[in-house]
Amino acid sequence: MQGISLENVSVGFGGVKALSGATLGVEAGEQLAVIGASGAGKSTLFRALNRSVALGGGRVAVGGHDLYALPRRRLNELRRRIGTIYQAYNLVPQLPAGVNVSLGEVGGMGGLGTLRTFLAGPGAGLSKKVGAALEEVGLGGKAGVRTADLSGGQQQRVAVARLLVQRPDFILADEPFAAVDPVTTERVLQTLLHLNREGATLLVNLHDVEIARRFPRIVALREGSVAFDGPPERLTEDALAEIYAGDSSATADEEAFDLSELRRGLERSMRLTEGRDGVSSH
Amino acid sequence: MASPRTERPGIGGAIPRFSWKGSLAVLVVLGLTGYSVTGTNFNIVELIRGTGAAERFVSEMFPPDLSAATLRATGTGILETFQMSFLGALLGAVVAFPLSALGTQQISTVGASRGERLRRAVPYHLSRTLLNVFRSVPDILWALVFVVALGLGPFPGTLALAVHSAGVLGKLYSETLEAVPSRPVEALAATGASGFQTFLFGRLPQAMSGFTSLTLYQWECNIRSATILGFVGAGGIGQQILISMNLFDYPKVATLVGATIIVVLIVDRFSAAIRQRLAY
Repeated sequence: MQGISLENVSVGFGGVKALSGATLGVEAGEQLAVIGASGAGKSTLFRALNRSVALGGGRVAVGGHDLYALPRRRLNELRRRIGTIYQAYNLVPQLPAGVNVSLGEVGGMGGLGTLRTFLAGPGAGLSKKVGAALEEVGLGGKAGVRTADLSGGQQQRVAVARLLVQRPDFILADEPFAAVDPVTTERVLQTLLHLNREGATLLVNLHDVEIARRFPRIVALREGSVAFDGPPERLTEDALAEIYAGDSSATADEEAFDLSELRRGLERSMRLTEGRDGVSSH
Repeated sequence: MASPRTERPGIGGAIPRFSWKGSLAVLVVLGLTGYSVTGTNFNIVELIRGTGAAERFVSEMFPPDLSAATLRATGTGILETFQMSFLGALLGAVVAFPLSALGTQQISTVGASRGERLRRAVPYHLSRTLLNVFRSVPDILWALVFVVALGLGPFPGTLALAVHSAGVLGKLYSETLEAVPSRPVEALAATGASGFQTFLFGRLPQAMSGFTSLTLYQWECNIRSATILGFVGAGGIGQQILISMNLFDYPKVATLVGATIIVVLIVDRFSAAIRQRLAY
């Protein structure tokens, strides 16, 4: 199985370059953390990896396929092998949690199967898988609960359960821990690493450098291109200051801000939430 | 920061008080008002002079005719109006739903070929055009068309309401479908779901409560419309009102109109209460 490669990829939104000349190769089965200041192009990079944005230039290959040259049907086949989880969970809030989890297999359902699932719910085989996946993320018995009625941390676990049902070859996790408590973070991370050990290529987009340091390889983006690529040992405080310098949300005075201070602050605020999510579930 | 305007003493402050655009807008509104007043022979004096006749008309309505025969006729008319409006809304919703699904803009056209875009554009524009025709012809005109084709009675009236409702609901449905939060839909598409699948599992569940609310509101509108459709012979209580008016039976008109108002108010309240529950 082949991995992921980006060659000189550029993506622009109305004149603003989100990615400019990003080049990156990821081996199949690798685990990789992506860091960078807000606006550095992290999310855009992930969206380019499942063709959710238009490409300004360059080439994206996933599993040996030129992603942007595939016809619709082949693209959907490839996308079934790419699993995603997001900061905002992006589940369908009105559906029961179990149905959201079963949607991990929706790409593989035919037209009739889709209708049957829509009208009568997932079939016996799929229901079993859904139950097992929910059990694995500690939400056994929550299959019938409306997703909107779950807490943020629980919703993120539903999203992970959907991933477990999908069993993708590539996992794109876009800031999966940004809105969940430390306990959920650890739990989700362990599940993702477990899927990685089973062969899935894992790309995680992180704002927390401490978590990123637990990955064997870290890639940092700055102004739309790769500014650092290497093991965590090489990611020195100087390198970090370089990566986060000129953060669009920081003023000139704060450019050399103390990262450890920021981390302490984050941990403090996380403790305050006492295991509940930091973001309301709408 | 001081703008150059404030440094010049005398004229204006930091807020500009005169703008060509604003003045032009005022002139246009004034011009249109004058033009429309002359065009419609709008005349307050005549309105005041006419109050005498209106008073006579109203006083002749009282006391309302509450005889058993009139009450029975009122009940029949109200029930018929109710049935017309309900069936009209329901049929309208059934027709509107598939058309609105086709008339909803797809999000993920990233990297779609020209042929693919065209294949999607054709059903979109066809259904939108059809819905626009349904909607832009008022229900009373549809009623005239169906009365000519099918004869007098509540059936053509129901069809008229159904066609107009389909147009209104179809447009509102597709707007609701387009306005649902797109991230869950995109997330489904990103895992390889087809357009049909993202619609069923992504858009539709998110739009469902909106659909119910809109349909109830359309039913409300249909009750009001159905009372008028009788004036062109399309059944309902309106037909009875017209007949009594022509017979100068004003007490009966009073009963019929009063009953209509009560029913419209009840349905409004009922539907508003349900819609409020849905909106939580």
